[in-house]
Amino acid sequence: MTPLHFVLATSIILLGIGFYGLLVIRNMLKILIAIQIMVKGAMIAFVVAGGLNGQINLGQSLAFAVIAVDTVVAIFGLTLAVKIQQHFGTLNVDEAMHLEG
Amino acid sequence: MPPLTIISLIFPPTIYLAGHWKLWTARVIALATLGVMWILFISLVRDLISVNPNVTTYTQGIVSFHFDYLSVLITAVVLALSTLITVYSMKDIHDEAGEEKYYALVILLVGSVTSMVCAGDLFNLWMWFEITGIACYLLVAFYSGRGDALAACAKYFIQAATGSIVVLFGIALVFAQTGSLDLAHIHIQSIPLMIVLGVIFIFGFGVKLAIVPLHSWLPDAYSQAPTGISALLSGAVTISSLVVLLRMLAMLSGLALDWGSILVGFGTVNIVAGNLLALAQKDVKRILAYSSVSHIGFILLAVGIGLFSHEIGGFQSGMLHLVNHAVMKALAFIAVGTVIYARFRPNTSLMIDDLAGLSKRDPITTFGVVIACLSLVGIPLLAGFMSKWQIFAAGIATANPVLIFLIVFAALNSVFSLAYYFPIINAMFLPERIPPRRDVPVLMRVPIVLLTAGVIILGIYPDLLNWLVIPAGQRLMILFGG
Repeated sequence: MTPLHFVLATSIILLGIGFYGLLVIRNMLKILIAIQIMVKGAMIAFVVAGGLNGQINLGQSLAFAVIAVDTVVAIFGLTLAVKIQQHFGTLNVDEAMHLEG
Repeated sequence: MPPLTIISLIFPPTIYLAGHWKLWTARVIALATLGVMWILFISLVRDLISVNPNVTTYTQGIVSFHFDYLSVLITAVVLALSTLITVYSMKDIHDEAGEEKYYALVILLVGSVTSMVCAGDLFNLWMWFEITGIACYLLVAFYSGRGDALAACAKYFIQAATGSIVVLFGIALVFAQTGSLDLAHIHIQSIPLMIVLGVIFIFGFGVKLAIVPLHSWLPDAYSQAPTGISALLSGAVTISSLVVLLRMLAMLSGLALDWGSILVGFGTVNIVAGNLLALAQKDVKRILAYSSVSHIGFILLAVGIGLFSHEIGGFQSGMLHLVNHAVMKALAFIAVGTVIYARFRPNTSLMIDDLAGLSKRDPITTFGVVIACLSLVGIPLLAGFMSKWQIFAAGIATANPVLIFLIVFAALNSVFSLAYYFPIINAMFLPERIPPRRDVPVLMRVPIVLLTAGVIILGIYPDLLNWLVIPAGQRLMILFGG
């Protein structure tokens, strides 16, 4: 186990924390935070992967590209949260998703 | 970069800005863009036929695109559907708030799906997967004043975003293990990692593909999206994830692991669950959405048979069913959409009873719905029958008792599905209860007539699609080393 492997383990733990959050949290903003935690885990995994196979530049630039795409997703999620708050008067997605099926 | 990718990056902002200036320019530019895309697509196909391994490669640094016959298949389906849907939507969403965004996003969706299915390196592929997702979320929430649409979009967004992050993590693992991102050169050697990656990719892409435990976003999204988008999503976009998933699994195959039986399993569950859940629905668009789940099952079953037995027949029948399903499901959605247009406000749900009296009022649409439903069941001489027949034939040819049992089971399910299509057909011949608010314009009838003709012609001459389907099946065989 090199130090890099510990960092990889950290990224898996972050992914797990985010996934657990998605399962238990019902507030739209907090769900977005959980998604962000998962993305950060995957991003760290890319940097570590670059370090593990000696392509540190490639790994880090891919992580930056993830930041760009991730920002778009976050912006979309926040817009959706604003719309849900305006329409339902609550951020709780369970109350919003009363669709049957 | 392939020319279609460049177009999809330049034109959506142009359409959006032009639409802010004058709305009609957005419609004209959107149609013109699709025309340019068709010309570029045809020239790409002509180039592809002339080169020998039948792959056109575009490389810039580590970013590469491999345009092969699988990409041709998905691109053809997406382009054809989106052209018909743009024509249809010109009247359907006429003067709705944000009409210019709709056209911009449809073009973006076409371009991103096309780029996704020909992406040659993993990270690039994920990028386009995510862009496709974002365009889909925005289009599903097009009627953003409606609470149900927002809720459906939130459901779709949360599930699909999770799926794509899981895929991203899987790609990071591949990168860590092999130090390469080029799909053509990666072969994972260790079995435990292979299993982990297979689970990650099936879960990640399975959310978008609506593999059964992960399908719960699909009926909400399809029933709340504008009609044209329901047709485009169910016909082309959802299924394009399957091609990407197969490319990923090809990277993991080669040793003792058998992904075919897993896909057959998921396919069978999809067929059963889609049929059973559709039975309980009263909303026509939700019925069609659940029937999409079951047809995705048929395609998974066919591809699984191909992988399991290393026979080309399974792949070909799967690809044929992909095309046929796109045509018939688009017809069903569009024909039902004209009823909503004629009788209700644009974003209303259409219950089965609301179809009453359509046969007298609008025979063309009625004929379209009847043909689409019968074809989805698999009545002979219609498109759905030919592809289901080929799937069953490919399954029987394996001579594996379990597979033959599953095929018989799927065939019975296919008959059983008449139980939820028949009320739709029946309702149209009942006495009218809701008088129409307005007439259906000719422009909305054009796609219905064309698609109805398509379903009938493909049912009688399925060989017309051979140029598209057979090379795609051969390409899949090559990808899986056969």
